[in-house]
Amino acid sequence: MFLTMKVAFRNISRQKKRSFLLAGAIAFGMMVITLMNALTGGAVINIRDNFSHALGGHVFITGREWTEAGQMIMKIRPDANLDRLLEENARQIEAFTRRSQAMPSLIFGSQQTMHLLYGVDFSEEDRLIDSLVVVEGSLAELGKRDDIIVLPEPVAERLGVEVGETVLIRLETLTGQQNVGEARVAAFIKDQEELGLSAAYTSRANLNSLLGMEPHEYQILNMFVTDLDLVDQFARTFREGLLSPEEAEEAEDEPEVTVTVAGMPIDPGTRTQEVTPWEGTRYQVMNINQIMEAVELVVGVLNRVGLVIFLILLVVTMVGITNTFRMIMIERTKEIGTMRAFGMQQKQVKRIFLWEAVLLGLLGCLGGLVIAGVIALAVGSVSLNTDPSLQFFLNNGRITFSLPLQDVAVNVALVILTSLLAAYWPARAAAKMSPMKALSSHT
Amino acid sequence: MKKVRFLTAVLLFVLAAGAMVQAGDFSHIEAILERLDAQSRFDGSDFSAVLTMIVEDPEKGIEKMVVRQFRRDDGERFLLLIQEPVTQRGQGYLLEGDNLWFYDPSSRQFAHTSLKETFQGSDARNADFGSNTYSSSYEIEGYLEGTLGSFEVYIIDLKAVDETVPFPYVKLWVTKDSNLVLKTEEYSLTYRLMRTGLFPKYTKVGDVVIPVQMVFIDELVEGNKTQISVSEISTNDIPDHVFTKAYIERVNR
Repeated sequence: MFLTMKVAFRNISRQKKRSFLLAGAIAFGMMVITLMNALTGGAVINIRDNFSHALGGHVFITGREWTEAGQMIMKIRPDANLDRLLEENARQIEAFTRRSQAMPSLIFGSQQTMHLLYGVDFSEEDRLIDSLVVVEGSLAELGKRDDIIVLPEPVAERLGVEVGETVLIRLETLTGQQNVGEARVAAFIKDQEELGLSAAYTSRANLNSLLGMEPHEYQILNMFVTDLDLVDQFARTFREGLLSPEEAEEAEDEPEVTVTVAGMPIDPGTRTQEVTPWEGTRYQVMNINQIMEAVELVVGVLNRVGLVIFLILLVVTMVGITNTFRMIMIERTKEIGTMRAFGMQQKQVKRIFLWEAVLLGLLGCLGGLVIAGVIALAVGSVSLNTDPSLQFFLNNGRITFSLPLQDVAVNVALVILTSLLAAYWPARAAAKMSPMKALSSHT
Repeated sequence: MKKVRFLTAVLLFVLAAGAMVQAGDFSHIEAILERLDAQSRFDGSDFSAVLTMIVEDPEKGIEKMVVRQFRRDDGERFLLLIQEPVTQRGQGYLLEGDNLWFYDPSSRQFAHTSLKETFQGSDARNADFGSNTYSSSYEIEGYLEGTLGSFEVYIIDLKAVDETVPFPYVKLWVTKDSNLVLKTEEYSLTYRLMRTGLFPKYTKVGDVVIPVQMVFIDELVEGNKTQISVSEISTNDIPDHVFTKAYIERVNR
């Protein structure tokens, strides 16, 4: 085997230009698919990170309850069961935050603007505080006073407010009543709109009082988990742990949906869903993977498109390889005859051809990976000041590339397989050649 | 010393008397509120009119809106169809009991909305286009007697008893003789003045008295004001189909 490999390598080296062109064609295809996969892989990671950053966690728990007046509101009260789950799973939780949120009108003089406002407990929001880039003012007062607000710079500009001045916060309570509060502007922060993070921040106690909630209540529990691979399982633990017996019963009673269109379940008929009010709080547990499902679906389609392009390139290359090997076979007819006359087996002749194809494929893969790596490094080092909406796909304004090793292995295997397939028939024809005829040939 | 004691006693008496007005017998004020509600309802007849709204906003400037209103208080129904500006023509609000629907002809979709919401970004709220519910939605916290311009009025402090109304606290200036609301002040849950309503002109339509001029002033955003004038008032019967979603869709075809 080693001998056939050695001969194959020598054959490739003999025809440098031809080998270079063949390997180059393979390298081009490999480069395209590698860059495409790495680009989408990097984008998925960036989107996931940016989403986590924007939403403040990987797992999100919200609570709903009914008021006496029959209105459903979103809030979480102190709950021993939830505390127990947090304690039991503390090892898997890197950090967690409890927030309230609203979309109030922020008013200063004759100017007003609607903006997302988070009510946060600054004592448990180290990550947030670290991520805020202060443009003017200071975050020193956060956690010491409740009636302060941190505004994104563009919001402050829109309102024409200065640090130290007081803005009005107009919103509706959870039950829909009008309410107004005041907050002194502590600082302007750099807007992170590109990350979907354009939010103002005030203390949770302040926002809660305006929303008609108690200071210790909140609306969303966000958790960062230590291992993202286990996020689904982690979320399931909380989902099951927070399920009330009534909810479990209702879930069992629900008829199973059997009709699907394009893999998506649909109801057999139009069904008006009536919500029966319940006692206490019902929780909803979401995780980042559920949010990412749509993104990953698009990325999956892109990757499949990339794979199709790659396969087309491979087929074209395969035709080239087949033709080249047939030519090689004709060129080496006498050489094959001599080798056969000196006792080389048919199998060995075939192997030489096949090894040549494998080596060409490997060289092409290596070349493609190296070129893709160089391009990725070059492109990744450029900081892009593009459209803010594009920033969501980037990591601090840079394109990042990420390609799992198994994807590389699959691509390399595909190249080797197609190269072998392309060289198989010329190799078989060469192997079956009669030594007598080969030696008497004029080529 | 005696003089001081006497003055103190007088002062205490005056304060006690004032407190009695605040915490005492509100039955006649309750009766006034019931009258206010009753005289704003078209029981047994329909009502239609054209509302012309001038919305002043320091940022957007002055905008004019023309809205045709159809109202049937038996069954708590109303339909508001926007006629001007042209860009919003065909948009409509349909109240069916507790449900208020907003129709947008561009999307041909109905969206659920609330009486508590503002009307088309103006300073009026959807609830302003229906009958009053002072007696059922609010309880009296106190009242004073005073004057507003040349009118003798009761100044009544109300607190919402439930969360069906947008403003938790309301102050009413009601004329003593004719029981007409001349002015309202609406407050937030933190008791901050949010909106002032002025009702300088009324007209009598059968047994019902309705304001034909209204001014709503946003007390939080300087310069925000909406004036509404009511014209083409009619109490003719309105066909039942007018208060349906199908009708809004049809008038837009």
